[in-house]
Amino acid sequence: MIKINNLNFGYRKNQLLFKNMSMQLSTGHIYGLLGKNGAGKSTLLKNIAGLVYADSGSMDVMGYDPSKRQPALLTEICFIPEEFYLPSIKIDAFVKANAAFYPNFDHPYFTALLAEFDIPVTQKLIDMSYGQKKKVIIAFGLATQAKLVIMDEPTNGLDIPSKAQFRKIMASALTEDRCIIISTHQVRDLDNLIDTVIMLDENSVALKASVEEITNRLCFKRVKELDDKVIYAEPSLAGYNAVMQNFHQEDSKLDLELLFNAVLAEKNKLKPIFN
Amino acid sequence: MEFRDNKAIYLQIAEYVCEHILLGKWNTDEKVPSVREMAVELEVNPNTVMRTYELLQNKNIINNKRGIGFFVADDAIANVKSYRKTQFMDDELPVVFRNVYLLNIGFDELESRYNTFVKETFNP
Amino acid sequence: MNNTFNIQRFGLLLKRQWLEFGKIYLITLAVALGVIVTFYSFSLWGYIAETKPFYERALNFREPLFLIFGFLFITVIASNYFAHLGQKPKAIIDLMIPASTFEKFLTGIFFTAILSTVSFIFIFYVTDLAFLAKLRSVYHSSSTRTSYTDAQGAVAIVVDNLAYFFSKNGPHVYKGLYIIPFFVTSIFLLGSIYFNKFHYIKTTISAMVFSGIWTAIIFKSGKLLFDNRTLINRMGNNGPAKDNVELCLALLLVLLTLIFWSITYVRLKEKQV
Repeated sequence: MIKINNLNFGYRKNQLLFKNMSMQLSTGHIYGLLGKNGAGKSTLLKNIAGLVYADSGSMDVMGYDPSKRQPALLTEICFIPEEFYLPSIKIDAFVKANAAFYPNFDHPYFTALLAEFDIPVTQKLIDMSYGQKKKVIIAFGLATQAKLVIMDEPTNGLDIPSKAQFRKIMASALTEDRCIIISTHQVRDLDNLIDTVIMLDENSVALKASVEEITNRLCFKRVKELDDKVIYAEPSLAGYNAVMQNFHQEDSKLDLELLFNAVLAEKNKLKPIFN
Repeated sequence: MEFRDNKAIYLQIAEYVCEHILLGKWNTDEKVPSVREMAVELEVNPNTVMRTYELLQNKNIINNKRGIGFFVADDAIANVKSYRKTQFMDDELPVVFRNVYLLNIGFDELESRYNTFVKETFNP
Repeated sequence: MNNTFNIQRFGLLLKRQWLEFGKIYLITLAVALGVIVTFYSFSLWGYIAETKPFYERALNFREPLFLIFGFLFITVIASNYFAHLGQKPKAIIDLMIPASTFEKFLTGIFFTAILSTVSFIFIFYVTDLAFLAKLRSVYHSSSTRTSYTDAQGAVAIVVDNLAYFFSKNGPHVYKGLYIIPFFVTSIFLLGSIYFNKFHYIKTTISAMVFSGIWTAIIFKSGKLLFDNRTLINRMGNNGPAKDNVELCLALLLVLLTLIFWSITYVRLKEKQV
């Protein structure tokens, strides 16, 4: 679905954010895009959506070059930015103005999503809170039936029940022919939803692996003492939360936060394990 | 359903399904929720549920009728029991043993405790 | 799917942009109407109420009002059209709308060059017609007419001053002027996408600086080329030389308009957020 080849990108000429980044994303997955502040999560998403242009290298999304902004591709992309704008009109007016651009727009599904999110259809967008607007834009985006769903920090601004609703909606939104990319800081909101982790660090992809691959190679567990098998550990109430190589085919639960910190701290030890 | 911290999600879902079968909520030849329904209910990735269902299929607990969905297998209960037993023996018993050893608990005491527990919980 | 232009998609885009900007547009139009009506009332109320004697001079404010205020109106509309692209969240929504850049650009031309000009002319014309019709009905009597008598003292010619006012001004209309609205809006449309903030002021200042520099260059080079040389003009003021100048001026305006529009298109295509 997405092929990124030797992508170089920088907002300023001499300061590259991505250096020779290459990656392939395929359908049927929910990718979790992680990275420190300023690692370029939003920028990568914008590159994929064609909102910014690469300095060099190639970007291929469903056979199109996103920087050309062709309608045929745009109808297949649902992009939910972190900061967004909705005009001050009623929801049905918004849908009337925008839905017709998407040939596969599913009106009953949109209504169902709004109902799931507890949003009355007749409400004016201007009277809504940030979280409610976000839910409207997510519902609209998913109802376009776009094949590529890109979300930048979608759970920001959602209250606790809405986060659960969001997870349910995303679980049902993943189909065989869809590719969903979600960037997030709040890994706990989404850690059971993501099936492949992409981690950005130091101008490039520090890790891209499915949850299955990760837990096959690494083991996340509580240990009482640290030994040399432990790759990375954080102290906890009962000893340490540790990441170690999975020698005994143990099935542990992926701890995204721990993995994230491990990748940042022990990149050199982790690299050979994943190659 | 609350997920615990230490066990892989797909295994926890497997337990959840097994629990339902053991408790008689889903009977033999009944349809189990589809991958999508299950994913939505548990708020997890459908691929994870798929992995669970593949595992349960291998253990002959559910089977896949092509085009219709997943059904509880004929001798599901027996298979669940043997699967759970292995799991218990491998994963949970060592933890119990560790505590039994550390706290110097005698087997007599354990046995009497066990008997009262069974009496209170299962034969009211 | 045609990825450059599709008439149905273009229609959808016009409708969408109307829903987006229509309200602000109509408010601006209403304000413009209010200003025009106020101007007319102030200037003509005395005559309509017949408290002052009527002179044709009283109608002299109409052309300046039309020109100055019309200029303001179409430039304000044009300098707002792409202004929201300076704000990231709005720009993202707009750029992700599944229509081609060319269609988005054409929509801009339609709203700024065509719709704003036409709607301004319309409201001006309607206001003007209403006031002047009223004025006419008040002064249909002799006060607005000048009569000429012949030697016998009979009335030979009656000139209706108001009718005279409505008559065509001169034999020669310079058609090149029709390009002006397009030219002016093209500058401000470019300004609206080029700058991120204070579009109107920045565009005005840049336009002034550019035209200043241009005038200076023309003046200097003209001085250099023609100083101490004799002008040969055999045709006088109405010869083909004048027609050529008019044609050149019109072509220059068209060319500049097209250039500004193409830069705007390229800017829209290259817009990043």
